[in-house]
Amino acid sequence: MRIVSKSAAVGAIAACTSLAWIAASIGESAPDDRWWSPNESRTFFERLDYANSEGVSTTLNVNGPTPTGGHPFFSSLGPNGRACVTCHQPADGMSVSVETVRERWRVTNGRDPIFAAIDGSDCPSLPQDQESSHSMLLNHGLFRIARPWPPRDADGKPIEPEFTIEVVRDPKGCNLDPQYGLKSPQPMVSVYRRPRPATNIKYLTAVGFPFEPKQGLPLPTDPEIGQMISGNLMADGRMPTIRAQIRDAMRVHLQVPGTPSPAAVNTIEQFLSGLYSAQSVHRLGGLLNEDGAEGGPETLRDAREGDLQYGGSPIWKEFFAWKDAAKNASLTPEQRAFRESVARGAEIFSKRTFLIDNSAGITNMGFGNPVRNSCAFCHNMQRTGMDVAPGQVDLGTTNLPTANSLPDFPLFKLTCREGKQHPHLGRVVYTTDPGFALTTGKCIDIGKITIQQMRALAARPPYFANGSAKTLREIVDFYDRRYRIGLTEQEKQDLTNLMSVL
Amino acid sequence: MKTRSLKNAWFAALAVASGAFANGETEFVTFVGCPIYRDTDLGRKSGCWLAEDPATGIRYDVTDGPTKPQVGKMSLFEGVVTKDPNTCGGIVLRPVRQAVLDEPCPIAIIPPEEFPGRPFVLPPEVLKPTWEPRELPQPPYRTQEFHIVFDFGNDFLIYQYAELITEKISLYVKASKPKTVRITGYAATQPIVVSGRTLAEPASLAKARADMVAEALSRLGVDRKIMRIETNTKPQPIAGLPTPGLESSKRRVTVRIEL
Repeated sequence: MRIVSKSAAVGAIAACTSLAWIAASIGESAPDDRWWSPNESRTFFERLDYANSEGVSTTLNVNGPTPTGGHPFFSSLGPNGRACVTCHQPADGMSVSVETVRERWRVTNGRDPIFAAIDGSDCPSLPQDQESSHSMLLNHGLFRIARPWPPRDADGKPIEPEFTIEVVRDPKGCNLDPQYGLKSPQPMVSVYRRPRPATNIKYLTAVGFPFEPKQGLPLPTDPEIGQMISGNLMADGRMPTIRAQIRDAMRVHLQVPGTPSPAAVNTIEQFLSGLYSAQSVHRLGGLLNEDGAEGGPETLRDAREGDLQYGGSPIWKEFFAWKDAAKNASLTPEQRAFRESVARGAEIFSKRTFLIDNSAGITNMGFGNPVRNSCAFCHNMQRTGMDVAPGQVDLGTTNLPTANSLPDFPLFKLTCREGKQHPHLGRVVYTTDPGFALTTGKCIDIGKITIQQMRALAARPPYFANGSAKTLREIVDFYDRRYRIGLTEQEKQDLTNLMSVL
Repeated sequence: MKTRSLKNAWFAALAVASGAFANGETEFVTFVGCPIYRDTDLGRKSGCWLAEDPATGIRYDVTDGPTKPQVGKMSLFEGVVTKDPNTCGGIVLRPVRQAVLDEPCPIAIIPPEEFPGRPFVLPPEVLKPTWEPRELPQPPYRTQEFHIVFDFGNDFLIYQYAELITEKISLYVKASKPKTVRITGYAATQPIVVSGRTLAEPASLAKARADMVAEALSRLGVDRKIMRIETNTKPQPIAGLPTPGLESSKRRVTVRIEL
């Protein structure tokens, strides 16, 4: 039996003296030190280590020690008291975990700016002092994202959508709300999504190839930066560049009035571009850059961005060296077993093929439906697991019938006009989040979500854009069910262990 | 529908290129059928695609098309019969093209049985990563024509094919600085009867294809001011394209770089 489970971990840590400092580190992480409030005057050092349930995640800051007093990333620039750091916490892999959110509610009795009415509650019209009004954030780590309806193009002009949208179910009330809903004076579609990690930016913006096969076109060039855009930003691709995303976040999430200052945007962009985050220590596996492995954020910092994995250079090969963990006599049996499991997980990720079907963005662009391939077919960018051939894919996390049961979520009925349809679901699609279609207005894009990076995962549960996987294991279970992969229990554990060290 | 072609020069060239019958007639088949996926596993993208011509009952291996079918949807198949080894459970068509039609059919996924399938092979030429420098074509420059073929009824630029051509066009334009880039979109609007169905492309597809190529070239830096968009809804077939028959060569965009 090679399964390395969580229950074995405590004993392993205690037994392994070389890991003693990890245990000490975990013990030292008091909640107050973990949380970065706006307007503090701390220094963001070159290296920040934070304990999580799987070990330690680390964020490197190649800008060098950065005083945060007055820094726009760390300052409350708008009226709601939030700063960028509110939802992009160093201890949470520059995202924010649901555990952290709950802790903030407990510590502040719900008065932390993270619970701002605009998107930190289920709907701004709800009584903000009640815990139940913030259920999506507290239960799932989800912020309300209000998208204009009909969608707008880059210049703010309405796009004529290919589909109509009806609210089938609205448990939080925001989509039927007279002020914020679909039939309000400024019609909005409210969906609920996780904040993406603001780190490893060079990978997010990498243009590995100048062509976007999912749209069948070369990547567009952003006039502001004069470069091709990566297509890998934001769940619904609504903002093309980091600069645009920063401005959007300042206006929407921080409620900064007017046009955000270019100087502030520059400062934030420069700061973020210097951050690299990854799990660096595992409670069972120990140091992740030991014995030939190349885990941890240093590799991310030093490697070239946008490289495509392939048979001769498979993704996560950084952990293949641990196949030989048995040769290291100094390891405990648990440590050795864990490292071997991670190495197996890395191989399964790129080598275990299965039939991928009915996934718009993959199976409707010429590869065939179904197509046999592995996890690495889409998660193909070395070191981050994003898609080098960028863009959005409908994995079925939001569209029925493949989405998990999500009774807390709104449900929409999208009806495509004559001659238009979702490639695999037909003219009528039921979805909890139309995803990319809220940006393009196209039926082909209903339920498509941008593939996201896979680093520092242990620091920031829950997972998927809608938080529907509470644990790393639930990610594996979703895929196994969705694509009928037939993973063995050992393979599931190997993949889970792999993700816990990324 | 099964068509035995004339021994014209184009097909002779095609026969040599495809390894089809060396000294006889090239056998070309076209039919509408329900695709079958045979789940062989020789690594990624290694499954087999099969389809049966309803007129003859012959099962063909259509795996080698630049785009693949979708189970549960009828496809138009056009291909040249070869004597290649039967590794999937059908007579191999090569070259072969398919186009997904908006007509449902039963989903058919079958096991490998005794067939090994074929490992996926990357096309001989693929787009280079961004970080690899591009070399500009060297002078002397002359008026050049490039052709981009589309699937029936579609304006989608086919991956691992069209992006190579559009990049070559953009590099030639960059180097030669032409007066005009003439982009002519074609749609095969003249009906053909295949497997009892009358198939014809809508006239609007000619413009849609031309616009798609123009957008691609624009994104690659070609100035829209020198582009001239034209359409042709009664195209003539041309030889020399990676198509299995003359009819499919009509579904194209021709980009003419005029100095």
